[in-house]
Amino acid sequence: MTAPTTTTSADTATRSRSTGTRATRVIGVVTVIMMGWLVAFGLGFSPADRDQDEAVRIMYVHVPTVWVAYLALSLAAVCSAVYLFSKNHSLGFDRFAGASAEIATVFMALTLVSGMLWGRITWGVYWQWDARLTSFALLLVSTIGYLAVRGLGGSHHQRAKRSAVVMLLVVLEIPLVHWSVRWWRSLHQEATVLDTDLDPDIDGLMLFSLFVGFIAFSLLYAWLVLHRTRALAMQDMLDDEGLDRALAARRAEGAPQ
Amino acid sequence: MVLVAAVLVAGGVIVAQFLRSAVDYYCNVDEVGVRSGCDADRRVRVQGIVERNSVNSTGGDTSFDISFNGARMSVVYDGEPGGIFKECLPVVVHGTYDAPTNTLLGDRVEVKHSDEYVAVNDERLTEADELADECTA
Repeated sequence: MTAPTTTTSADTATRSRSTGTRATRVIGVVTVIMMGWLVAFGLGFSPADRDQDEAVRIMYVHVPTVWVAYLALSLAAVCSAVYLFSKNHSLGFDRFAGASAEIATVFMALTLVSGMLWGRITWGVYWQWDARLTSFALLLVSTIGYLAVRGLGGSHHQRAKRSAVVMLLVVLEIPLVHWSVRWWRSLHQEATVLDTDLDPDIDGLMLFSLFVGFIAFSLLYAWLVLHRTRALAMQDMLDDEGLDRALAARRAEGAPQ
Repeated sequence: MVLVAAVLVAGGVIVAQFLRSAVDYYCNVDEVGVRSGCDADRRVRVQGIVERNSVNSTGGDTSFDISFNGARMSVVYDGEPGGIFKECLPVVVHGTYDAPTNTLLGDRVEVKHSDEYVAVNDERLTEADELADECTA
């Protein structure tokens, strides 16, 4: 997927007064189908686990949501860097970064909730301040901080510039979160699929169900980020329109009667 | 930006290398009283594998043995362990260590799940039983 430019988002929003296009409708339909597959495999076809029993099914939401959160933050960082270092400083990249970070926040919250439910069943506790959980909570708070910075006010380019710098710092926490279970001893287990020997210790059907989850949630992210980026473009246009009206009204006040 | 990144990397190295014992969530059974941060005279979190045929529940207490790297200690826990607690699984026990009796007086037990996901079926259960037999070895 490529990041939409200012022209694309603005054009879409202006033409139809809607955030939907043929492409997003197709992605939406495919997402619903894949979610159906995920429900079938996650709750039906995949087996229970030897130790966790049925609680293993939480993994089919927990792992894909954190994967999408990492993906969303990484793309937000790439778009932030492109905005900062490109010559034309296109606001389209800024809006994509903002939209992607919002979705990352939602997915991280889902990861936390699903992880806490799994932890209560498996570990016996909802939460512990170990390296993985603490660093992940820090990443979530940092991302919320990024969204707060976006709302500080000022012009669109002021917003884009300062939030891009923050995002480039936030994204550095992802390796810390991912490798925390290797660098330190943690209650959270090490990575299974993305382990270093690339030979995951997981049942084949469980791995396939997880793969279906990756596809389903990635498509959901694509659908959400396209709509949200266009919504942010419309919001910016609305702000500009309001500013233009205010300026015109002010000029009219000063004009001779 | 490069300077900020360099400072962050340096901070990461410091945290990873020099604060290891402070960030590590637990000590292993063989490290109690030996490793820095695992002092026997203070509250500890100890990780070990629950020994086979060692779990006993009497009068609301649960006692069992945990081992790691050839070292072994007894655990007395005031209550029923939660989670998926069972023999041959690694657990982290919070409590105080009584050196003379080599016993950990636990007030919290957490089950540490591995990164392995094995399907339940007869063939796998047989394999699991074989593995379980080996857990005390």
